[in-house]
Amino acid sequence: MLTIEGLKKSYAGNDILKGISINVNKGDVISIIGPSGSGKTTLLRTITTLEEANGGRITFAGVDNDFQKLNGKEINTIRRNVGFVFQNYNLFNNKTALQNITEGLIVARRVKKNEAENIALKALERVGLTDRKDHYPSQLSGGQQQRVGIARAIALNPEVIFFDEPTSALDPELVGEVLKVMKDLANSGTTMVVVTHQMSFARDVSNRVIFMADGYIVEQGEPRKIFENPSEERTKKFLTDILANV
Amino acid sequence: MDNIKLIINFLGQLLPAINITLIVSLSSIVLGSLLGLLLAATRLSESIVLRLLAGVYVSVIRATPAIIMIFVVYYGMPMVFNGWFHTNIDGWNRMYFVIIALTVLFSAPVSEIMRSAYESIAKGQMEAGLMVGMTPFQTFYRIILPQAFVVALPNFANSVVNLLKEGALTFTIGVVDMVAKAQMIVANNSGGFAWQTYCALALIYWVISLAIDKGLSLVEKSYQAKRKTIAV
Repeated sequence: MLTIEGLKKSYAGNDILKGISINVNKGDVISIIGPSGSGKTTLLRTITTLEEANGGRITFAGVDNDFQKLNGKEINTIRRNVGFVFQNYNLFNNKTALQNITEGLIVARRVKKNEAENIALKALERVGLTDRKDHYPSQLSGGQQQRVGIARAIALNPEVIFFDEPTSALDPELVGEVLKVMKDLANSGTTMVVVTHQMSFARDVSNRVIFMADGYIVEQGEPRKIFENPSEERTKKFLTDILANV
Repeated sequence: MDNIKLIINFLGQLLPAINITLIVSLSSIVLGSLLGLLLAATRLSESIVLRLLAGVYVSVIRATPAIIMIFVVYYGMPMVFNGWFHTNIDGWNRMYFVIIALTVLFSAPVSEIMRSAYESIAKGQMEAGLMVGMTPFQTFYRIILPQAFVVALPNFANSVVNLLKEGALTFTIGVVDMVAKAQMIVANNSGGFAWQTYCALALIYWVISLAIDKGLSLVEKSYQAKRKTIAV
């Protein structure tokens, strides 16, 4: 459904992504793990066109082109078919929880207001926040804000939702509620690509784990294989280090 | 007591001229804000040339005293219009020259205020807008501008009060505003009661600036109240 080939990205002469190829199938729940600075976040941001790539090709939602040759229409097509959940939530601070969700539907998708509100209410129900629909982001906890962020993404019914370290900015006691929502989504067949440091999510929820380091995909496979029997030394070391800190 | 009576008496004589002060200030605020918004957009644009031009413009304007700006516009513009467009604008109402000078002056601080307010909130909000499928313009207009507006209000109020005070130089090119009126009153009294007259004038400026502060802080509060109506 989404194919990326040879994706490259550099900042000021530093190569961040050195040729990444990924294939995402419908219903996939892919966890991307790896040390910080390995390019995980940049990978999501370049695929979703938030950052310009320096090379590589994307095949997705009828678009089939080199990243550098994408025209405005193709960029719009990509953006309209992805959802994005940000590390810092990035809710619209001047809108209520409900309006955060209806905004994209009404303005970008031209859905009628009452219809958009119905869709938004259903999305809020899925993340368990119906009773917070009229609250502004400043009146919500971090975990609640992130759940609104997830509701905002699913309401648009995208082909795939990208999660950029969705629990990294949260207090530890709030991580669970967000992970639970993500788990429910995964179980209902939503296609998800998740950059995460939550190894429990990567191991128990996803059907594929990608381990990245230094701008490369070092290894990928089923979670059991990656966690129990990694073939690369780099992966072993990362997992040992991470598990030692838990 | 006599002095207070005098001041009240002068207040009554000065107030009829307040409309000139208000027209000049309001027009400059509206036009200057629009120009400042345009400048801020230019300074945030991707073109290095545009950014540089706008940057030089702002730094020159910020360094120009109001009285010099008014003289430059008043003496310079008719010549430019004559030379370039072969149009004679000597007959223009002199108030227009003051409004143009103050508009140019006001645009500089406004552009700085708008730009910093924009930068304080823009990045994450813009990305979120793009990721729900909105265009950059839709995101700017619906998400960023309303927030930047609230952030900018206190500084904006400061600049408005400054502009109001700079507008007191209107009389220098012969427009009969409150300051010119005060001078006439003093002259009519053969130079007598000068300090009482100017105290009355200062009092009027104080009340106007109080009203500006109060008005803008009410606007600010109404925006904040919108988000605090529900208990957390």
